[in-house]
Amino acid sequence: MSSLLSTMYLATGAMAADQGALEVTGNNVANVNTPGYSREVPDLAETAPVVVGNLTYGTGVSLEKVQSIHDPILQLRIQQETGEQGQLNAFVTAMNQAQTLFNSGANDLGSQISNLFSSISQLSTDPSNLSLRQGVLTAASNLATTFNNTASNLDTQRSNLDLNVVQSVQQVNTLTQRIAGLNGQISALENVGRDASQFVDQQDNLISQLSALIDVSETKSDSGITLTTSNGTALVTGTQSYALSTQADSSGVQHVLDAQGKDITSQINSGALAGMIQARDQTIPGLLSQLDTLAAGLSNAMNTANASGFDLNGNSGGNIFSPPPGGVTGAAANMAVAITDPALIAASSDHGTGSNGNLANFAAIQNQTIMAGETPTNYYANIVFNIGNDVSNSTAELQSSQLVLQQLQDQRGSISGVSLDDEAANMTQYQRAYDAAAQVVVAVNQMLETVINMSTVAVSS
Amino acid sequence: MSSVRVNPYILPDLLLDLNNTQQQADTASLQMATGNRINKPSDDPAGAAEMVFNRAQSSEADTFLRSATSVSGLLQTTDSTLSSVVTALQRAISLGVEGANGTLSDTDRADVANELTGIQQQLLSLANTDYQGEFIFSGTATVQPFVSDNTSPSGVAYNGNDGTNSVQVGENYSLQINVPGAQLFTSSSGNMFQSIADLISALQTNINVGQAVDEVSRAYNYITGQRVSYGNALNQLQSQQNYLSSEKVDLATEANSISATDMAAAATTFSQSQIALNAELDAISRISQVSLFDYLK
Repeated sequence: MSSLLSTMYLATGAMAADQGALEVTGNNVANVNTPGYSREVPDLAETAPVVVGNLTYGTGVSLEKVQSIHDPILQLRIQQETGEQGQLNAFVTAMNQAQTLFNSGANDLGSQISNLFSSISQLSTDPSNLSLRQGVLTAASNLATTFNNTASNLDTQRSNLDLNVVQSVQQVNTLTQRIAGLNGQISALENVGRDASQFVDQQDNLISQLSALIDVSETKSDSGITLTTSNGTALVTGTQSYALSTQADSSGVQHVLDAQGKDITSQINSGALAGMIQARDQTIPGLLSQLDTLAAGLSNAMNTANASGFDLNGNSGGNIFSPPPGGVTGAAANMAVAITDPALIAASSDHGTGSNGNLANFAAIQNQTIMAGETPTNYYANIVFNIGNDVSNSTAELQSSQLVLQQLQDQRGSISGVSLDDEAANMTQYQRAYDAAAQVVVAVNQMLETVINMSTVAVSS
Repeated sequence: MSSVRVNPYILPDLLLDLNNTQQQADTASLQMATGNRINKPSDDPAGAAEMVFNRAQSSEADTFLRSATSVSGLLQTTDSTLSSVVTALQRAISLGVEGANGTLSDTDRADVANELTGIQQQLLSLANTDYQGEFIFSGTATVQPFVSDNTSPSGVAYNGNDGTNSVQVGENYSLQINVPGAQLFTSSSGNMFQSIADLISALQTNINVGQAVDEVSRAYNYITGQRVSYGNALNQLQSQQNYLSSEKVDLATEANSISATDMAAAATTFSQSQIALNAELDAISRISQVSLFDYLK
């Protein structure tokens, strides 16, 4: 049989364990709103029993360790989905701005094209009328201005995306630096067998933030977490982080370079950077090139039509629009009316100043398949459809990605989240256990007192 | 613990729902405010593309209607001018018949010839009629088509050309809007000016007056025939205008069905999302208040 004193130690040990467990609860409650925090549970275990004679006595309880509850695989899925969402979000934001240029309205490109042909049609009823001729030039100039503005707005959006790319790369660098720093702290603790779960939570949270910006692939080693992009560009190994950088090319477009200076712009395939780069380098340039095709097609067709007739001075018609300087490329941005004298519109087909015979050649452009086998209206309608479709598809993907991410977060919450109800229950449980253990101490104390009084009685008698 | 642990963080879920419901309400209210279901291409890409066609077609119909209106003004002026020409020629014929009567004295015939000279001047003026400043019988030239010319046997010279203009008043429908003066008034099948000049000189010399009257009759018949084509053109134009007006109505109906807001549906969505919003807000205000801690007193 063990001594009374060992029973006292057992009870005080239990009080210490319960106090430790209560501390874990306290920490959980304190971190209930900390992003990325995983709840902790105290790992209580029986201490080794002692054998006295043929009896085996328990020696109480000890707090072995504090365990952090989290699921690394789930964390990985969250990171992937965060990357997906970051990409879609950046793309939708950029293209939502771009598509407003193609909203249906009195001043959209489609209306301006109609207005030009309408003014030509009006001129055909009175071909020598100078104010009707001026009407054609005004409509042509409005069309050119609309092309110019649309192209320059798209260009501005590309420059804004360039700024965003630079800022995002800076954020990536800040994050990888902090993640590398945490790698050091985690391995320092784990190497001496200590618990580093709080740092791991922080690191997980930072990696999620990083995934929202760039694609991240994660491997674990003794020196901590190694992060690369999915194409193998190193971001973090051990305590070392590798900063990405940006560099503008000759046309001002910002490229993303890895630590060795290699261009990885086109290899980023998830996160906000991927979405921005997709909008900046593919979708918007695609739109611009379609606008160029439309502008160049219309300019050239109008010039050809004008050249086949005679102006009010009896001369063969010259150019109505300045020929696009770079062929098709840049045609929309540089579209301009080449003449200011309305007499130079070649309405006549027979030198007669009252003839409208050549105007039919202008009107026919509307039904000619001059752009990639399509009429101008058809081609413009396709542009509207394509951008609308791009935005609407990515918006739908974004919404479903939001739902998936929310479900994953729910799942993470059900595993790692702090429930105040649980903690309240635990708190009372540990408190009661602590009370009970304290009662044991009191009981042992009284028993000791009894023992001490026993000897006093013996001496005095 | 045997049962699946419940996610204690309900707030993010509710906030996402709240956000989605708010978006639904915003979309519905924008649709009601603008009356348009398609406010940006991504609202309905195919519908937005259809609207591009619809707007192009309805702008074209507007243009054709406007052209038809101004062409019909021109054709009416031409028709009434030719009607005056025909009346003048009728008068010339009856004067000629009167002059052919052998009982008339030289003086009487000279009077008739004088009156015919007046008609000749009137016809010249009619042949130089303009519509909104443009001569209608000069072909595609913009000069006064007929001038007096004593060296010419018909007494006039034609300065216009024989060009014609057509104006498009339908997708595949062009209408010729002028007949050159040379074809109308100095054609070999009926030369109006020549016949009047011949009648005047026949009356003055009293030779072959009857033959000269026949010549004027031929010119009269010829111009009457030409005038019919103007009348037909005017009729065709009128029916084309009717067609274009109904096409505009069709296009507007089509635009309505492509892009107009279904007000009843939008209002229902809006009020449903308002109810959902209230319920969600209510839920949020309740959940954050209670935990077991509140009961441990």
